[in-house]
Amino acid sequence: MNPVLRTQLSGVSRRPARLLLTGLAVLVASFVVYATVLAQQITERSLLNGLSGTPEATDLVVREGTVTGAQLARIAAVPGVAEAAGRLEVGVQAGAEYLTVAADPGTGPLSMVAPVSGRYPAAAGELAVTPRTVQRLGLTTGSEVELRAGDETPPVTARIVGVVEPPSDYGDTAYAPLGTVSALVTEDVLQRVEIRLDAGADATAVREGIAAVVAGPEAPEVATGADVRLEEAQAMVGEINQMFAVVGMFVAVAVAAAGLIAASTFRIVFAQRMRQLALLRAVGAGRSALVRALVVEGLLTGVVAGLTGVLAALAVGHTVRPAAGALGVDVASPGFPLAAAAATVALAVLITVLAVLAPAFSAARVSPLEALRTAATTGARTGIGGGRRLFGLLFTAAALGGVAVVLAALPEPDAQDFDPSPLLLGIVASGACAYIALIALGPVLVRPVLVVAGWPLRRLGPVGRLAVGGVGGSARRAAAVSVVVALGVTLIAGTLVGGASVQVLAERELAASAPADFELSASDGTGLPPGYAGRAAASGALTRVTPYRRIDTTVGGVETAATDLALTALPRLADLDLAAGTTDGFGPGRTVIARYVADLANLRVGDTTAVTAGGRTVRLTVSGILSDMGPLHSGLVVDGSDLTGLGAKAAPTGLLADASADGEQARTAGLHALRDLTAGDPRYGVAVLADQRDQLRGNLTVVLAIAIALIGLTVLIAVVGVGATTALSVVERVRESGLLRAVGMSRGGLRTMLTTESALYGVVGAALGIALGVPYAWLAVRATGLNAPLTVPGWQLAAVFAALVALTALAGVMPARRAARVSPVTALTTD
Amino acid sequence: MHIRPASTTAPDRDGLAAVAAVDLVKVYGAGDTAVRALDGVTVGFDRGRFTAIMGPSGSGKSTLMHCLAGLDTATSGRVMLGGTDLTAQPDRVLTKARRERIGFVFQSFNLLPQLTAADNITLPLDLAGRKADPALFDRLVTTLGLAGRLTHRPSELSGGQQQRVALARALVSRPEVLFADEPTGNLDSRSGAEVLTLLREATRDLGQTVVMVTHDAGAAAYADRVVLLADGRLAGEIHQPDIAAVTEALQALAAGR
Ligand SMILES: Nc1ncnc2c1ncn2[C@@H]1O[C@H](COP(=O)(O)OP(=O)(O)OP(=O)(O)O)[C@@H](O)[C@H]1O
Ligand SMILES: [Mg+2]
Repeated sequence: MNPVLRTQLSGVSRRPARLLLTGLAVLVASFVVYATVLAQQITERSLLNGLSGTPEATDLVVREGTVTGAQLARIAAVPGVAEAAGRLEVGVQAGAEYLTVAADPGTGPLSMVAPVSGRYPAAAGELAVTPRTVQRLGLTTGSEVELRAGDETPPVTARIVGVVEPPSDYGDTAYAPLGTVSALVTEDVLQRVEIRLDAGADATAVREGIAAVVAGPEAPEVATGADVRLEEAQAMVGEINQMFAVVGMFVAVAVAAAGLIAASTFRIVFAQRMRQLALLRAVGAGRSALVRALVVEGLLTGVVAGLTGVLAALAVGHTVRPAAGALGVDVASPGFPLAAAAATVALAVLITVLAVLAPAFSAARVSPLEALRTAATTGARTGIGGGRRLFGLLFTAAALGGVAVVLAALPEPDAQDFDPSPLLLGIVASGACAYIALIALGPVLVRPVLVVAGWPLRRLGPVGRLAVGGVGGSARRAAAVSVVVALGVTLIAGTLVGGASVQVLAERELAASAPADFELSASDGTGLPPGYAGRAAASGALTRVTPYRRIDTTVGGVETAATDLALTALPRLADLDLAAGTTDGFGPGRTVIARYVADLANLRVGDTTAVTAGGRTVRLTVSGILSDMGPLHSGLVVDGSDLTGLGAKAAPTGLLADASADGEQARTAGLHALRDLTAGDPRYGVAVLADQRDQLRGNLTVVLAIAIALIGLTVLIAVVGVGATTALSVVERVRESGLLRAVGMSRGGLRTMLTTESALYGVVGAALGIALGVPYAWLAVRATGLNAPLTVPGWQLAAVFAALVALTALAGVMPARRAARVSPVTALTTD
Repeated sequence: MHIRPASTTAPDRDGLAAVAAVDLVKVYGAGDTAVRALDGVTVGFDRGRFTAIMGPSGSGKSTLMHCLAGLDTATSGRVMLGGTDLTAQPDRVLTKARRERIGFVFQSFNLLPQLTAADNITLPLDLAGRKADPALFDRLVTTLGLAGRLTHRPSELSGGQQQRVALARALVSRPEVLFADEPTGNLDSRSGAEVLTLLREATRDLGQTVVMVTHDAGAAAYADRVVLLADGRLAGEIHQPDIAAVTEALQALAAGR
């Protein structure tokens, strides 16, 4: 073995703590990467389970074509087919309400429902309903209901014999065997057939057999169950893909962060060994031999850390399912993705080797003379050389250039079919450049931040002064540590800013689509009979009963709906904020318009425009432009008199109302009150907007929970990086500690000083991190094409600042205690 | 100037000893690998005098000094600093003693790299929350030739200058005893001579008690008295030493082993 390498490795085995601390960052990095892979697996599988309407046991699906009941029987007879379930959903009128009757075998792997109470229908004319349908439609077990599938078909009386739990309960579904469902309609056509094969059956042969059965002019497609499930899940997650793009960016940043942390820890570790390396050089070791030895050391670190990280992630990943299960949430198990595990270890090694390269080269450049200087003198260089400055400025320019390019390519608001990935990648690249610049220029940037942050500390006496001096006096080390903190803070700040923006967006969307709990409207556009609003308000189960009118209009060539629902009528409408103008002085002759109308019709606040409907025209002045949609997705909000002028009838188009209290019970009571109002008149429909709102919020919560889990891992990297770096910098300075103790600093004083120092690293890092994180998050939100506002969650950012400072202080506590415990003599004689 | 047997009289008999060791034993490690670095050393260091400790490498000089200075705790025996028994004192008391009553100069790594020379000099006083006596500070800085160097950091100073800053730090708090472990070990002969002259002047002019460990007979000749150590035991002493006497005594010690 190369003697230099041998020296290095024996040094490593003599000081395993240092290797452990270096490896820790890489370990956590590979943990995060593999945990991300597992989280993806869990998410994907959970989404597949939750979002696909096809049972997991389905091997083949016959769909998109005509399949008859007779063909179903022949499919079931094809050799290799264990079970074939025909799917048919029929929409029927159950009294005054809409009800979906779906075919399901009720038992076996192809069934999508689980029994709750009663039994599954067996005979004709029997139905099972979902729990919310029981509540909504009052269809309790044992009750009878009259079903009407169309005007021509005669009504059928059905009896409810049980309650079943479906994959997702919309509150308007009944289940029955196929025979019962197809009896409701006249045509003998199935929507699709799901097929389960015998174990060991030849899927290709069976597929051909089935294709032969259904062959004909309108032959349906025979697809595999896996493909269909994937398609369905993808269609379902399509709408939240944009948000996943943001999440993916955070993972990419996490990987970059891990590399930077590893590089920074290697730099510190090698700085500690500067004298030793110089000595090796002095006794004749070549530079390349030194580099080789250091790189091999990094490689070993990478292998060990990568493996450990992967195993740890696997252990954690497999506790997610039981843990979530204990909380009553059903998520999928991540399985054992071995290829990804190998790739993660390879990535860990690659990152470590990349991270070790620059520190190894600069460490190997050590002049043999360094051996004669004291270790402290080498660590305390504060300035940066011209080359490094130039390098830093180049990368600053590159980062700014990246930002400029992204800014130029930003999508129009509400742009359709826009793929944000290239822009997000551009932002990651620009961010990485900014960080490289930060690393290079860090020592210069630390000073000004420290002057401000250290001012109160310096008043606090010698310990505070020493702490500030300790950080400022070795600005290089301080920069190395602070950059790690800055990464963590950037990620958190970015998430908070992004999350807050998406949240505002979601609330706005909810305010537009569901401004109240209920909407009662006439299905044929005739308008509600007079007196409904008063009676609804009098029922006691409803509050804020607000009638509105809505008509289709044209403004500046744009076809859009106009409503007289005032923006102040319901509290939730307050979330519809204005992009320009004001609602003050709103009245006849004025209008507030949705942003897309303003964009398409090229209108600005103060413009006067003609609005036409059914041949009538009124001229209105734009007094405000909404940031997004108008209430109930209308494009124009106008005064009632102007709507009348446009030919709107006096009868309200519909009315909005809130339940008088929170909770499912009050909601049901409100629904019943509205239903009593219509007395089963099929012309009037009640929509429970609150349910839609809950569902949208639920989707958002799932996505945010996943995002937070992923970012939690990234934050973990940052915090561990801080801990490791602080510990290393304390270990490195054990002689300084010894000297301070020798000249009379107390144990407590030394502890306080070192803890304050690491807290100062946190202060500097958090300040730099927020300064970078907020603008980049804004840019990222813009780049996703979501029409989200730029939000600064000030209190949250302040809390993050405080938390990071506390965390870094905490990370310093253990090493500080250790440094303070060592006797001054031992510390002074340590090399 | 003869080598006399080591004085075994009670060190604080006339109240003159600034610091003294009584039957001091220090054992490193345990069992087979135990090293008896100090094996029953009884010695006193007179107030206002410059004493050098000499002896072969590994004879326990540094260990003795660390114990005397409250940097390390002895296995048994007592260390008296003035009237205070330093043995079995809690760390708080030792810390206060180091800060206010003791000064140090080490062979190397004397200064905090992030502090300026001036800040390094006043460090122990800062820690004690005291202000430096400006007259003394100015006098030390001028005598030590540091006037133009006060705002420099240690990395910008020569080895001799660094040692002089350390010396100023050790003297500015007017310690009862100043300990120096091979303070000239890293210096060329001229810088070394400067430092040694300063130590001697500190005893003469300021009445400072100085205890110095050295290998160099030339350095020891600056002292008022040389205490010889061998294998952790006292091996004699020389009053008003000169280079020849010290060299002879050291050779005798080496031959006697
Ligand atoms: N921390 C320690 N652990 C074990 N043995 C030690 C330790 N420190 C010193 N020793 C041993 O104690 C003995 C005395 O050491 P000391 O450092 O006091 O010698 P010294 O006289 O100062 O030598 P030198 O002139 O070489 O500096 C030596 O044998 C040394 O090996
Ligand atoms: Mg020694």
